Amino acid sequence: MNLSLDVQLQVALRALNEVVAPALGDAEKHVVEQLHLAIATISFVKLRLPDARRFARMELADYLRLAKAVTALPTSGDTLSALIAKGDALLESATADTADIEAVTRILRERVTLLASECTDAAVRREIDRMVLEQGGALLDQNRQWASFYGFEIKPEELPAPAW
Amino acid sequence: MSGEYQIIDEALRSHPDEATIAAIRARYPVEETIDAVLSGKMRRRHGPGYLPVSLDRLLDGIKALIEANTGYPVRIEGGRWLSGGASKLQVVFDLHWRGPAGAGDAIDRMVMRMEPAASVTESSRHREFEVLNAVEGIIPAPKPWWVDGDAEFLPYPAMIYAFATGSAKPSYDSGKVSGLGQNYGPVLRAKLAPQFVSLLGQLHNLDVATLPGLAHFERPQAGSNASVIRQVNAIRRIWEEDRVEEEPILEIVYRWLVEHAPPLDHVSIVHGDYRSGNFLFDEAEGRITAWLDWEGATLGDRHQDLTYSAMPSFQHFAEDDVTPLASGMMHASDLYKAYEAASGLPVDPDRLLYYNVFNRYLIVILTLAASARASRIGGTHQDVLVNYVVGVGYVALADLREYFIGVLR
Repeated sequence: MNLSLDVQLQVALRALNEVVAPALGDAEKHVVEQLHLAIATISFVKLRLPDARRFARMELADYLRLAKAVTALPTSGDTLSALIAKGDALLESATADTADIEAVTRILRERVTLLASECTDAAVRREIDRMVLEQGGALLDQNRQWASFYGFEIKPEELPAPAW
Repeated sequence: MSGEYQIIDEALRSHPDEATIAAIRARYPVEETIDAVLSGKMRRRHGPGYLPVSLDRLLDGIKALIEANTGYPVRIEGGRWLSGGASKLQVVFDLHWRGPAGAGDAIDRMVMRMEPAASVTESSRHREFEVLNAVEGIIPAPKPWWVDGDAEFLPYPAMIYAFATGSAKPSYDSGKVSGLGQNYGPVLRAKLAPQFVSLLGQLHNLDVATLPGLAHFERPQAGSNASVIRQVNAIRRIWEEDRVEEEPILEIVYRWLVEHAPPLDHVSIVHGDYRSGNFLFDEAEGRITAWLDWEGATLGDRHQDLTYSAMPSFQHFAEDDVTPLASGMMHASDLYKAYEAASGLPVDPDRLLYYNVFNRYLIVILTLAASARASRIGGTHQDVLVNYVVGVGYVALADLREYFIGVLR
């Protein structure tokens, strides 16, 4: 494809960096700041766009693991099985849209939370909470790796390598 | 039932009907003024995002607001945008008027601070105005002059206060977005740190019971944890109203915060955003000239400010690359000791632990929910900056998770 997304972002960035930014000169500070943040945001998209589908699949796979573990607990109910089946099918499909993958992950996030909150068995709820807290760490590290471009990590080199 | 978990779909979150707003209000009871602010935020989602306002339009509104208060014509000159901060829109100008006594011929530099359609921190201009009045003459802060709390004169609620001199970051440092992780350097740090601590102690020692003019604040009672739970509910409510996607960890933390809320042992004015980047200083003298951003102020527990100033988002490492400096000042444990010595108020390890969780929970929700939603709906004058701040969210969430697991052990 001639009009590749990567090239579109590349040319826009070059214009902003090499033409617009120098021309701002003594413009108001907040104007210059917003330009540089816009450049950073587009640069982030340029870097991550090729990995967006892989990242979405990784998030879904992670939440499917959590959902399966939660539903395997006694008396936790079986309200997630249809959603889990849908998620599994999306992961196996080569043609699944990224938006559909993200949508199922989003619902899984809500349903797992609901399940823990509605659980009346204190021991089961504690176990769900433990799973959420323990299993959540790996995905969070990947979220941090994904967002590390923005420069808020104190020691980004200590983050686990991308797993998407 | 209060706190009961329910799923709201994205369509209702984006365009909430009155039944949805009422259900959220019932589940998460908060202070009356906070309730009005958050309900107003939800109702504004049926309107447009932030509509750019010309400088001239704002200067006209400023003039009208001031004249309605002074009762005589004034002149506004030299108006220009003021940069800095992630949540509010600010204009600086010179006011030609008769001065505070109304009988002279004065020129005073002032700042108009206005909220956009949506914000990282939804807050009440009335409360900000009242707390600035309460600390006047005690804590260096901009003198508040007039408030347009219901947007009678300006496009959105706003207030006017005196221009405060000073810098938010050293001349030799390009600074960070919104002052996050600001490094003042060792020389300036040594001068600023004692003031950072002593001013916090002075703020917390103000006798809240005798302070007048805090009409938009509910008065908490020492010995009760009801106000703390209301604060936790306010944060939870923002998560309910603004989140883009659920994070199951946060519901676990919410339940814990409600179940473990400590009763207040002493009621203080809590700044709510006491950290590096939120004060101005005179670089040559090494003197703090003004504390800014009082919009999150509340009446509550001093440990909230103490732990907030030491949040990892506001830290950087000292020159040894090992010691984390709370708000770029000193190690958190040193900060707590210095505060105890300066203020005479005890620092309670259990309350430090609680508010360490509380503030981590708050920061996650302000970034992953409030900031994400405000920029997503085009609600601010600087969506690109507000969206950028969302990047802090996962660092903050990972930190909350790690800290919380440690607390449970």
